[in-house]
Amino acid sequence: MECAFDAQKLISISLRKIQSSRTQRGGIKLHKNLLVTYVLRNARQFYMSKNLSQTQRTHHYEDVAAVREKQEYLELSGSFTELADDFYCNFTGVESDTWHCGAHQPIGQPAEVAHQDASACAMVSPSDSDLMVSEDCWSCAEIKSSWELPIPNAQANQKTVLDLDTHVVTTVTNGYFHSDCCAQSKQPQGAQCFSKKRKMDTSYHIVDPEFYLPDFGPVPCKRMRTDDDSHSDSEQLDSTNISNLISVLGSGGLSEFVSWQQTDLEQIFASQTICLKHTLLTGSGWTRAIEAF
Amino acid sequence: ADIISTVEFNHTGELLATGDKGGRVVIFQQEIENKNQPLFRSEYNVYSTFQSHEPEFDYLKSLEIEEKINKIRWLPQKNAAQFLLSTNDKTIKLWKISERDKRPEGYNLKEEDGRYKDPNTITSLRVPVLIPMDLMVEASPRRVFANAHTYHINSISVNSDNETYLSADDLRINLWHLEITDRSFNIVDIKPTNMEELTEVITAAEFHPHQCNTFVYSSSKGTIRLCDMRTSALCDKHSKLFEEPEDPSNRSFFSEIISSISDVKFSHSGRYMMTRDYLSVKVWDLNMENRPVETYQVHEYLRSKLCSLYENDCIFDKFECCWNGNDSVVMTGSYNNFFRMFDRGHRRDITLEASRENSKPMQVLKPRKVSAGGKRKKDEISVDSLDFNKKILHTAWHPQDNIIAVATTNNLYIFQDKVN
Repeated sequence: MECAFDAQKLISISLRKIQSSRTQRGGIKLHKNLLVTYVLRNARQFYMSKNLSQTQRTHHYEDVAAVREKQEYLELSGSFTELADDFYCNFTGVESDTWHCGAHQPIGQPAEVAHQDASACAMVSPSDSDLMVSEDCWSCAEIKSSWELPIPNAQANQKTVLDLDTHVVTTVTNGYFHSDCCAQSKQPQGAQCFSKKRKMDTSYHIVDPEFYLPDFGPVPCKRMRTDDDSHSDSEQLDSTNISNLISVLGSGGLSEFVSWQQTDLEQIFASQTICLKHTLLTGSGWTRAIEAF
Repeated sequence: ADIISTVEFNHTGELLATGDKGGRVVIFQQEIENKNQPLFRSEYNVYSTFQSHEPEFDYLKSLEIEEKINKIRWLPQKNAAQFLLSTNDKTIKLWKISERDKRPEGYNLKEEDGRYKDPNTITSLRVPVLIPMDLMVEASPRRVFANAHTYHINSISVNSDNETYLSADDLRINLWHLEITDRSFNIVDIKPTNMEELTEVITAAEFHPHQCNTFVYSSSKGTIRLCDMRTSALCDKHSKLFEEPEDPSNRSFFSEIISSISDVKFSHSGRYMMTRDYLSVKVWDLNMENRPVETYQVHEYLRSKLCSLYENDCIFDKFECCWNGNDSVVMTGSYNNFFRMFDRGHRRDITLEASRENSKPMQVLKPRKVSAGGKRKKDEISVDSLDFNKKILHTAWHPQDNIIAVATTNNLYIFQDKVN
């Protein structure tokens, strides 16, 4: 049975593979990256189980419930969400030194923006180490307030956030999001219109509608000839269901996680590549935050 | 660019096509002049070489489309010309390979070099004649089937009706007519409405060799689905699901990876199909879905090395497998330029090596053995000394004779059964 250290190593190797897949020739390989996420999930589950059993044995001053809640911070439920749309739009991993984390969400404000069915994303301010994880989750991608998110302990600085699915660049100023490019509420029709699955007219080039060029706004895509246009509204882009906004989870409840990852993450930080931050997850989806330093 | 990416015999075995990472197709032809003579040794010589696919750039998505040939499939021969389908990640092409051994001479209006004559200088009329010339093999693209796949194409398969074929990418399978390039029918779509729920992808697909309505596709979860196109236009619902329960004692971090099926092939009889996952080859009876009828371990000694193989990406290698002409033997590749044959009837297996040292003409290949652990016997190779950069992913077996084609990274080896 692999030890916890192997699990850590596997996680860091997997993250590197995911990162390197973004720049490889030919686009992201969906199959390979799906398998990598399975390894990532398995390693994480193993590490979590080891961590839990160890903590239970140590009779720490923190009771088990608190420990469990902390570990819920680290919980990554296992679907493929954060990579799926990257593959779909064949994101090639444009890197920028200006990428930073953002999307800090206070606990206690979910009522305004909560969505029941979407993938969950709850981000915790790094300074609130004692914050309890809220059970309420919401989809960052479907926040109706158009990126206007109050953030506690906001600092007077600006960070640039890149949504990997929509490629919309937003700026976080004093803890508030400002979308640099309008994210369309209604997604343009395009290659997603496979409602009529029987016939495909290949005379139109299939375009991934969620591929937005940040500088030029949404790319108009050609529409496939289908007889059933009413289905087009229901064909949501994958990107709207998946949030890849950046969330920094620093100290506090994640210290255990961060510390054992530190060795590998430091290398990643040092090499100016992305790091994977963990968010609270519930349900079947998980959102991933990516930050490049 | 010379890395061989696919190998395929045509239906008679006379021609052998290889595709490489640089988008080229090289066709070899068997020398058959002395085939019926004793001690005949097959020789395959280069017959035609052409550039099938070029690298392309998708400007909208800012990604490069590799020219690597993923699959080649021959069409049954109908006339003097040969036809094959070749595909890269996005585009399938139908190529016509034809021979030209005569050329016309004696045009009235044209000079021999092609320049047109002044009509006023023509005083007599003659009939052009065909004169022999050196054999020239021409390859010309007859059809281009493009823009139908969002994801990377991994399989193409020609239907037994000789009119249609399927192409499969990670999430969808399309049905084409060989004459129609501007549309295809989507027959399988496993893309979930919510991509967060994606748990598996399509890894290979093939039509049944005789039943034109039946095809199978394998998944990254180790399952094979058999579909009947007569049931509905969209074959998302399978007719049969072939799946073997996982052995819980073998559970590891990499269980999902090693159970992913990299190739599926029907037997020539159509009764069985064979699947290849990372460590084993399984033969399935189409009449039994809950487990394979035969399982052959290709390199079980790698099970304890999965972590290293994951690190160096070898665990993602997609090995293919093939049947011999009468379905009595199956073959697949491994590492260190080893390839394995499993005799189904006699329950024997053999490991051979494709290397320059062992491949002198008429030299009989020596069986190889890998020492899994403990004391290593003489002539055995230890697992730790295997070269994982030397891998045989693509093999092909002549449809009638015991002639095999084995592709190492950059070289193609053709072996023949020893003639007594």
